[in-house]
Amino acid sequence: MRHADVYAIASKDVVFESFDGEAVVLDLSSGKYFGFSDSGSKIWQALSSGVDAQALIGLTAGASTIGPAELDRFVSQLVELRLLTRSDAPAQPLPGDLLAELAATSEPLNVSIHDDLADLIIVDPIHEVEEPLGWPAVKQAS
Amino acid sequence: MAGGQAGILTNSRIRDRGVLDLAMSRVTLETLPDYARYLIAAAEGASASYPVTRKIRLPRLELTGHLGPGVLADALGHAFVETRGDQPESSRCRIFIAHPGIHGIPEPARWGDAHFTEHGFAKRLAEAGLRGHHFHDLDFWQFYDPQRRVGVQLMGSADAFPPWEPGAPLRAFLHWEYAARGMRLAHAGTLGANGKGVLLAGAGGAGKSGTVAAGLLNGLDSVGDDYVLIDLANGVTARPLFSTLKQDPQGFARLGLKRRVPANAPLNWQGKHAFHIGDIAPRPVPAMLDIVALMVPHISGGGASSIMPVSRRDAMIALAPSGIAQMPGERESGFRFFSDLTRLLPCYRLSLGTQPQEIAGTIAEFLARGAS
Repeated sequence: MRHADVYAIASKDVVFESFDGEAVVLDLSSGKYFGFSDSGSKIWQALSSGVDAQALIGLTAGASTIGPAELDRFVSQLVELRLLTRSDAPAQPLPGDLLAELAATSEPLNVSIHDDLADLIIVDPIHEVEEPLGWPAVKQAS
Repeated sequence: MAGGQAGILTNSRIRDRGVLDLAMSRVTLETLPDYARYLIAAAEGASASYPVTRKIRLPRLELTGHLGPGVLADALGHAFVETRGDQPESSRCRIFIAHPGIHGIPEPARWGDAHFTEHGFAKRLAEAGLRGHHFHDLDFWQFYDPQRRVGVQLMGSADAFPPWEPGAPLRAFLHWEYAARGMRLAHAGTLGANGKGVLLAGAGGAGKSGTVAAGLLNGLDSVGDDYVLIDLANGVTARPLFSTLKQDPQGFARLGLKRRVPANAPLNWQGKHAFHIGDIAPRPVPAMLDIVALMVPHISGGGASSIMPVSRRDAMIALAPSGIAQMPGERESGFRFFSDLTRLLPCYRLSLGTQPQEIAGTIAEFLARGAS
């Protein structure tokens, strides 16, 4: 990781809500949903609000300590999923209650992808109707 | 465009802007709003040419459909649960179901932009104050102006509509109209008793329809097994829109529906039996259910049904994706709406046993406990 690893939400099409401390993110442009574990939700909230990723290393989360490799994997995944992007903005301080909230989590850093109903149409479309969905799922032309 | 007639293009303006040329060729993202307005104007201009007019009374909405005779006209006559009695704050909308066989209606244009995304399509129209959907295979277009409450469904011919259309006709228009008023069509089933109900969320195959049919056959009420109208204005309420229920042949046999429902009709486009809620409901469909819980059904394969708490995150992921994916446009507002709904309700996983009576009894007992 660089000296300061600051990230921002990758686009205006990435929206999220929190449910009892657990985040659900929707990429409006693709229709993909992302569900975060409890510790992943806290890290998502910190990173998406501009906290330096390096400031999260060594904190207690999910009954263990966040290591640099584990955090790097998680952040890289969020960047690959186009949920986060690097930012040149100045790093924001750790929210005061984050340490206690992270310490209270019980699950490892994780994000699950729910894309079975996502848009698959990108270019000149070929449609196939997926019967169980009750609505056409459009398969991308090869 | 004259003052209050926002969105209507006159013939001369259509010519000036080359929209007629466009109508005969291919629509791009740039020309999409003009094409939408052109079609709405053409459909309204031909209003004297539609042989059939159907008025449908829905919650706080009187929908007038102008169309030709046939399957869709029949569907408008029997696919809805119509609202009874007077309705305060009711609005009117008009939908023209058009095709070139109706005088003054053009051939549908084709999508000509190499890059098409559902979200980009909806966003472009929303920027112009419009809503729309396009089904490429049939050059099937739906456009709606929520400000004027006028819409057009343009088809290549009288029967060139997607196979799911007769089961829940004009679903997209209802979605746009109700979304503009802060309500929402949810892709969910419902069961209730004494005015209280549960919402059953999940994608196709999760067990919603079978659970609703099991409940209805065993004395519970429902306001729908597939799409229901949700309002969050005063708690969470669900109202009926569509009367159609569906069951695959295995479920149809397991539930003993053969004895209750005429089974001589052809299976629908999904290979399922389609019938009406009135065929099996113990009472007239209630006008509304106060929703007290969100349940995520799950076919467990075990003997007995059970109801266990589930996280709101998991309930939201069961509820929102199919509701948003199956309703064109309004994605972000839908995400926020379903988030609010999920926060307002306790959430449970409903593990389904194998016996319809036992499943219905489990839900009835839950409702009786919750309502007491």
